[in-house]
Amino acid sequence: MFTKSSNIAGLLFILIISSVTVLAFQGLIGFSQRGADLALLEDSYFHSILLFSIKQALLSALLSTLLAWPIARAIYYYPNIFFKQTFLSLSLLCFVLPTLVLITGFVSLLGLSGFITPFLGEDWSLYGLQGILLAHVYMNLPFAVRAMHLQLQSIPDSSWILARQLKFSRWQRFRLIEIPSLSANASLIFGFICILCFNSFAVVLALGGGPQSTTLEVAIYQALKYDFNIPEALTLAWSQFAIAGVFFLLLYRSSSVPWLSKDSTEKRWIPCISKTTKGIYLLIYTGTFVFMLMPLLALLPGVLAANYSIDLIVDVLQALSLTLILGVLSAVSAMLIAYCIMLPIRNAAQRGQLRLQNTLQWLANHTLIAPAMVLSVGLYILFLPLIDLDQLGIIFVLILNTLLILPFAIQQIRARVLQYDNDYALLYQSLKLNFQQRISIEWGYIKPIMLSTFALVLLISMGDVAIFSIFGNDNLQTLPWLIYQYAGSYRIHEASFASAILLLVYFIILLKIERAKYHA
Amino acid sequence: MLDIQQLQIQLGDNQLNYHQQINSGDIVTLQGVSGVGKSSLLLCIAGFIQPVRGLISWQGTQISSQPIEQRPVAMLFQENNLFEHISVLKNARLGTANIGDTEIFAAAKELQITEQMQKMPLQLSGGQRQRVGLLRTLLRPEPLILLDEPFAELDNQTRTIAANWVNKIARAQNKTVLLVTHQMEDVDILADRNWLME
Repeated sequence: MFTKSSNIAGLLFILIISSVTVLAFQGLIGFSQRGADLALLEDSYFHSILLFSIKQALLSALLSTLLAWPIARAIYYYPNIFFKQTFLSLSLLCFVLPTLVLITGFVSLLGLSGFITPFLGEDWSLYGLQGILLAHVYMNLPFAVRAMHLQLQSIPDSSWILARQLKFSRWQRFRLIEIPSLSANASLIFGFICILCFNSFAVVLALGGGPQSTTLEVAIYQALKYDFNIPEALTLAWSQFAIAGVFFLLLYRSSSVPWLSKDSTEKRWIPCISKTTKGIYLLIYTGTFVFMLMPLLALLPGVLAANYSIDLIVDVLQALSLTLILGVLSAVSAMLIAYCIMLPIRNAAQRGQLRLQNTLQWLANHTLIAPAMVLSVGLYILFLPLIDLDQLGIIFVLILNTLLILPFAIQQIRARVLQYDNDYALLYQSLKLNFQQRISIEWGYIKPIMLSTFALVLLISMGDVAIFSIFGNDNLQTLPWLIYQYAGSYRIHEASFASAILLLVYFIILLKIERAKYHA
Repeated sequence: MLDIQQLQIQLGDNQLNYHQQINSGDIVTLQGVSGVGKSSLLLCIAGFIQPVRGLISWQGTQISSQPIEQRPVAMLFQENNLFEHISVLKNARLGTANIGDTEIFAAAKELQITEQMQKMPLQLSGGQRQRVGLLRTLLRPEPLILLDEPFAELDNQTRTIAANWVNKIARAQNKTVLLVTHQMEDVDILADRNWLME
């Protein structure tokens, strides 16, 4: 791979990221003057939230992965299906959709006075396990569909040609071609969703509906906000960190470089499907499309009923500008850092140093499993006596946002750069290219994934509320925070309008990036 | 002179041993049954495989401990010689900073691939891809050229053209060539010596 000096930059970033987490925990421990409350580990309250955290995460991941499979097959085997590109863009939108917007949509649809609620029977409630699962599946199913579709697309034409020449049955094609293409990454997709749901905060806070449906992350928030019980928060945080950490480690150990051949831009050989199968795929696809669109369309009545004033529009536009500036800065930083961090990981992979590779990956991605609430509050407490956080809080929003979107950036570009090394390491070493030449050639190869990853992390970063709730101030408001404030003061129409503007911006960014990616 | 002294490579359960001297400017063909270690030897000289023991020296300097980038070696692999996402011409320019497009196109003309230079590698046939890789490897400035089955995908006529071109360039620039082949015709056209591995 690259030189030792480029390795150092990556290692330095890993060290800085790890230091931030250590500092955050140090901030909490130092403030309370005592460590975690270990007696809590034997408390039935702790057991119940732990079990619920695991149960809802496993169920969410299982449902998302299983349901995604037939949908991914539908769009792969029926490539000319209507609005396919829009469907894929919408899928990404669902994954990055700010939770507040989604919950506003769900409440309009399925809440106490939702449009669909009267048809769901008297027992229906959006709150509790079913509501959490619904929201988690809504956000993660489309992600799984995209990931599986990508895997299916990577099946080389030559495999299908060979299968046809060998007169494979449908079952043989499935067993010998499709399953191997998906199995390499299915566990990764399942595990990734599981971790996201295990650490879920806003969805559980909004739709949990009571102590029987609480996750560790929400319990940490409650321990900090309502009781200011730092030992309890620390016990919960360590537990979450440990469980998610072990899970994450297992995930990385079991994953491998995707089952891919060299890039093939044109897919000409996809097995023909019968009319009946086509009909079934169409049904599955349309159903999913409707499922994804409904919570978004449910915002419309609120938008139409909003009382538009100059103040409202100025507030929304100002908040939107700040959201975009913070989002772009965080996303650019995260992309640069992610690329640098991948350099020592790639070197370790090239040398077959699996243990080192896994350790570096774990450290680089640990902010995915570190409780965001602990990071934010820990740093806040630590820096409060040292820095004027009212003035400089926005810098912390930027730094923490960058750290929290970093695992997504690494996750996205990792497979692509490892595949690049897999395919071309011998060649670029043999050609003795200099650093600039290597970067310029590699850029051509990774440009599409870099652009789409940039969009992904930009959108995730733009949706943040949790970090802003701690470090932000009322003079500078982001759009999600403004939505939260409107919703909190029962200005639902204004909240719907602001949500719709945010959605529109999300959709424009997605379309632009998808187009740029297509032409890359 | 390329001096391979008591070189030992471990490949899975197989232990491969080599001992050979090759004069500068010679073209040596390597032959032997599959699995005998022809490609492994080339990869070891280029630095992609570390030997268990033994030395490789070039013009009196030991190169077996040098990093890949510092070895005086240009190698053509059996496959994966082109970056798929950049044009054929850009691929041909890589590692050939010493020469201009005029020489590249002159070589392309001789190898009958001029029409392919502006295309993407995916649009080329296997034989065309192999000739692009061959062109680049021979035009690179390194004095030691390693070619792993460079004509495997070529028809008889093109094979002769390519072999003659390799012969011409290698002799003109006094390059030392190690070439793996299964065809006696290549040995007849090119070789100063045939190294039959057992």
